[in-house]
Amino acid sequence: MIRVAIVGCGKMADQHASQIRKIRSATLVAACDAEPLMARQIAERFDIPAWFTDVDEMLASAHPDVVHVTTPPQSHLEIGRKCLEAGASAYIEKPFTLNTADAVELIDLAQRKGVKLTAGHNAQFTHVMLEMRRLVADGFLGGQAVHMQSLYCYELGDPAYAKAMLGDPDHWARKLPGSLLQNIMSHGVARIAEFMKGDQIVVLAHGFSSPFLRAIGQGDIIDELRLIVRDENATTAYFTFSSQISPSVHQFQVHGPKRTVVVDDDHQVLLRLDNREYKSYLRFFVPPAVVARQYVGNLARNVRRFAKRDFHMPNDAGLLTLIASFYRSVADSAPLPIPYREILLTSRIMDAAFGQLSKHADVS
Amino acid sequence: MSVTVGSELAAQGGQSRMIAGAEDQILVTGANGFIGSWVVRSLLARGFRRIRCLTRASSGSNLDRVRAESDGSAVEVFQGNLLSPEACVKAARGAAVVYHLAAGVEKSFPGCFLNSAVTTRNLLDAVTVAGTVRRFVNVSSLAVYSNAKVRRGGIIDETCAIDAHLVERSDPYAYGKAKQDEIVREYGLVQGLRYVIVRPGVTFGPGKAKIPGRVGMDTFGVFLHLGLGNVMPLTYVENCAEAIVLSGLTPGIEGQELNIVDDDLPRSRDFLRRYKRAVRRFMTVPVPYPVFYLFSATWEKYSNWSGGQLPPVFNRKTCEAYYKGHVFSNQKAKALLGWQPRVGMNEALDKFCAYARDHMVGA
Repeated sequence: MIRVAIVGCGKMADQHASQIRKIRSATLVAACDAEPLMARQIAERFDIPAWFTDVDEMLASAHPDVVHVTTPPQSHLEIGRKCLEAGASAYIEKPFTLNTADAVELIDLAQRKGVKLTAGHNAQFTHVMLEMRRLVADGFLGGQAVHMQSLYCYELGDPAYAKAMLGDPDHWARKLPGSLLQNIMSHGVARIAEFMKGDQIVVLAHGFSSPFLRAIGQGDIIDELRLIVRDENATTAYFTFSSQISPSVHQFQVHGPKRTVVVDDDHQVLLRLDNREYKSYLRFFVPPAVVARQYVGNLARNVRRFAKRDFHMPNDAGLLTLIASFYRSVADSAPLPIPYREILLTSRIMDAAFGQLSKHADVS
Repeated sequence: MSVTVGSELAAQGGQSRMIAGAEDQILVTGANGFIGSWVVRSLLARGFRRIRCLTRASSGSNLDRVRAESDGSAVEVFQGNLLSPEACVKAARGAAVVYHLAAGVEKSFPGCFLNSAVTTRNLLDAVTVAGTVRRFVNVSSLAVYSNAKVRRGGIIDETCAIDAHLVERSDPYAYGKAKQDEIVREYGLVQGLRYVIVRPGVTFGPGKAKIPGRVGMDTFGVFLHLGLGNVMPLTYVENCAEAIVLSGLTPGIEGQELNIVDDDLPRSRDFLRRYKRAVRRFMTVPVPYPVFYLFSATWEKYSNWSGGQLPPVFNRKTCEAYYKGHVFSNQKAKALLGWQPRVGMNEALDKFCAYARDHMVGA
């Protein structure tokens, strides 16, 4: 039985605890939060036998095998370090660390201590993302990825809500090096990092504050970001983060030399685009019918999964899959669900973007 | 909108017997909220001249209106977050009476707990440091009561048990409020805090155009009328604010817990009929209690069976808590506070409907 602890007992902790409870080989043994009331409330609601306000004390008393770190990112390095030093593996929520140097330090430490780490990139493990990964692994693209497009949107809500949410300059998200962007965009960037096989990464970033944010007096926050990414193998990617695109979509396209896969994460739809040629006017009739058939197939798969109680909301399903895979990796030496290289590359791309944005803070 | 001047109310006889006077420092948290802004109005009407309003933002539409109605000098807007102990200490400094209305209204349990229980603990620590507070008025909710042992048509009053199954009810707001109340009682026992817990029913009035959830819900494109013949535990915002203010001023009621509902409470179907006539017409489907209970039980069972594939938003406990059908008493509040709802139910409903008509929202 894997002994699991949670550090940081806010909203994310609830989501983790809900999924951990579904894993038969795991048991929640401790909750920890600097605020005793928060630690106690999650322990009461999830029947966790012990709660703490000090991480060291928790590690020494509860002896967890895995610690889920769901605190604000500013504390990930310090808490992650303590967990690893104590011999516990750690699931660290996104953004993994404040910068790549911190991420390297944690990963090096984990390897030295013989324990494991993963990052909270649960959106990588939704039903369609898993299906996409299987297709690519089976060679569907016809070779290495040529280009990717990752579109990741975020709804700020109405002006009153956005003002309330963003108006607090002391909120931890506002104090991240990449501010609002850093707290959200890693899901979309990780998708690119997965298929970017080179090490020499070039990132071109353009970011600005949307007219919406400027209108409510929050023009110092960048909520529109466009990235161009390229590696030495000439694999390229576009990444778009937007708070203004409607509908607020989360899509990923990976284009290979022969075929393309399109993932619509919002509707759990996956399309396979072939390069088959059709004569004359048939190109206008046959491909739409093929795509229509694929949509029906997606519908049937989603319904089937739902009927088998194996659907759940995509991010919850992704979280469960990621946690369960990580536990298998910890307990049975199965491969890590997210390779360290992918975690680091995600961090490097984000660092490069924030570095350019801070140099051109007046891009708006 | 007019604000009754202090001398007028003083002439009505209240002020001299109260535990705080016009020159005492008053702190109101959540002062920019629906009820909070009316509490400030009520304090102004009683002539209080040092009202400190703790709000998250430096300005807010509700409080701005109140300030515009008065000369503004009596209202000090104190921008701060109750999650900051330092802000709480500054806010509570010198306060004679604290009206604590700020609350977590999020959808998650930790969110509501953080913004109800943790904030309250911070404020109570600050109150302890201040050492000047004669009364702490904790504004809770009627939603924290359990009606499991109260038969249909039975009375909900201050003798009812607090619901110990608010997690199963999937009701983060009520959970946060119940935990907040626990902390206040604990400070009463351990720190000797002089407090009163006030539990308003469903507060309505200008400023809130939505039909209360106890009447029914707009779901799947149709308004399901769930309340039917149930009595609605309504309290008009102005009346409610008056009761809250009195709870902070009336001597000799330390440690009391008071439910606030108005007189002449309407039944759900009367409320809905009136709303449709005065505001707008829309299609409603009446759903008898046993039918909704069965639906809730089925939903709950499926939710459990499927591992939360559908969240347990409909469940038997919620169905019971909100739609079983009870009567509500305000006798204790009337007796202890000498409070009477000044705005009658007819007038209150008219004002609500007029506001709803001007600020039309979905049912």
